[in-house]
Amino acid sequence: MKVEFWGQEFEANLVVGCIGGFLIAIMSSMFGFGGGPFMVPLMTVAMRLPMYIVVGSSLLAIFFNTLMGSVRHYQFGNFDLWLFLVMFPAAILGGYIGPKIAKKVNPLIVKRVASAGLLILALNLLGVF
Amino acid sequence: MKKNKSMFLSFILSMCLTVPVWAQDAASTAQPASTQAPAAEQQAQTAQVSDTKAPAPQEAAKPETVTIQIDKTSLNNGGEITVTGKAPAGKPVYIEVWSADKKVKANFFDSKPDKETGKIPYILYLTEDMPAYYKIFAPKEMKDKIAEVKKEGKKWSFSDALKKTGADAAYSVPAQIKIDRYKATILASIIGSRGELLPPMDAKENSKRSMQLLKSRFRSVDKLLGADVDIKPDGTFTAKLKIREGLAPGNYKVVAAVDKKLRSEPATFENIITFPNMYFSNAGASLNLIWPFLLTLVISIFGVLMGAGGGFILNPILISLFPIPHPVVAGTVMPTVLFAQASGIANYSKIKFINWKLGIAIGIAMLVGGFIGPKLTELITLDQFKFLFGWVLIILSGLMVWQTTPGYLAKNKKEQAILKEFKKRAEEAAKAKA
Repeated sequence: MKVEFWGQEFEANLVVGCIGGFLIAIMSSMFGFGGGPFMVPLMTVAMRLPMYIVVGSSLLAIFFNTLMGSVRHYQFGNFDLWLFLVMFPAAILGGYIGPKIAKKVNPLIVKRVASAGLLILALNLLGVF
Repeated sequence: MKKNKSMFLSFILSMCLTVPVWAQDAASTAQPASTQAPAAEQQAQTAQVSDTKAPAPQEAAKPETVTIQIDKTSLNNGGEITVTGKAPAGKPVYIEVWSADKKVKANFFDSKPDKETGKIPYILYLTEDMPAYYKIFAPKEMKDKIAEVKKEGKKWSFSDALKKTGADAAYSVPAQIKIDRYKATILASIIGSRGELLPPMDAKENSKRSMQLLKSRFRSVDKLLGADVDIKPDGTFTAKLKIREGLAPGNYKVVAAVDKKLRSEPATFENIITFPNMYFSNAGASLNLIWPFLLTLVISIFGVLMGAGGGFILNPILISLFPIPHPVVAGTVMPTVLFAQASGIANYSKIKFINWKLGIAIGIAMLVGGFIGPKLTELITLDQFKFLFGWVLIILSGLMVWQTTPGYLAKNKKEQAILKEFKKRAEEAAKAKA
């Protein structure tokens, strides 16, 4: 599919995009996370699109998934209103505080710490320790 | 190969099981509110059956009864309650405790081949009537038996455990809950219709399935079985029952039983949950509100810093720290990011930074994925959930490491510069229009 963005034309491989998006969507709605960290590499690396077209468009694509996933979870009775009401303001607040701190820290170090933390969490989930 | 096949089948099943569950959810919201008021006044905790002066061992001819008393009428978010009573001498006594007011949902997907026929049943058992708390306290002597069951690890079976400890004689309350079962056929799944609702089970089968449902809901041996009843040779017994924190509020019933017929009248106590603790009805647990709030705050800040949604960290931590079922965690965390995403889209679209054609094309594929995913969450067990999530996190961690490699950084720097340039132009264009 041809995609036009700010006067430039790109050839987007939709087969890769849709299959990848479909799989990521199953995964992310199954486990209840966003999916951005997977969608961005999919669109930049596998679909070879430049970053500036990906940031906004991937968010739009993910929004579809989050909306559908939320509705479905709600249908199955897996949505707890009170828990949501507790977490929602915290998430919004975090969204405001986060960018302010982000300017002051080295993103490289954050990424390294995060990847180590994720690995520990992963091993814990896998029952290694 | 086998795993692939079963994954595929559960995928198919997911399609056909969606409709009935939805219908049931609607029904469950209409559940009657709890009846609390009278219970508080029910303070004479001596719930007795006819004759209190229990027969001495020699007078076994007298009609046998079981009596119990409890020392407290209310607990404040758990605590210890002492049960004393008298049963016919020389008989084991089991104490059944359950939450009488609060009910939770439980499901169990039977995909294990039948031992005799080798056929895989693919039946989903579902109930909305599971007591939010249920536990059998067995005689102290059963401690070893329970330890044996624990050694079986995750594959322990509640019905075996009941048989081993003899507690199956006392098992009664969950055996009577209403359980629906759905059989999925391939045809039904293709047209996306519901699985076939099978006729109700007989009492014995219902009881057996209720044990599997209890296990799938409460998971650990300790939550369902304890060995705390101290029985004296003359038939009197005492038991210090530890009621853990974070349970459902409302009335709990306590019954001592010797066998299916010889049961005491129920004694009642109330579990009081006060702010900042709160009962989450879908999660079936009471939590201190402060913890999920702080946790979400810290993790979402960190999520912004590392450039990945907080759900990756929040969900596994919520699952490990709190007794919330994994589908509820996934289903409740997911909508919290909806707002942030919507505002992000609004901001980007203001400066025309979204390619709608591309976003919607992939979005539709993701819509289909989002339709299937939540059903799969329900079909898998917590252990499978943890296993898969673990691998997802390893991949994510790998992606993050890759993003700190020099090659990526060099490329990213260029891209970010172009991105900034484009953003600037876009913002200016938007301003010029306005």
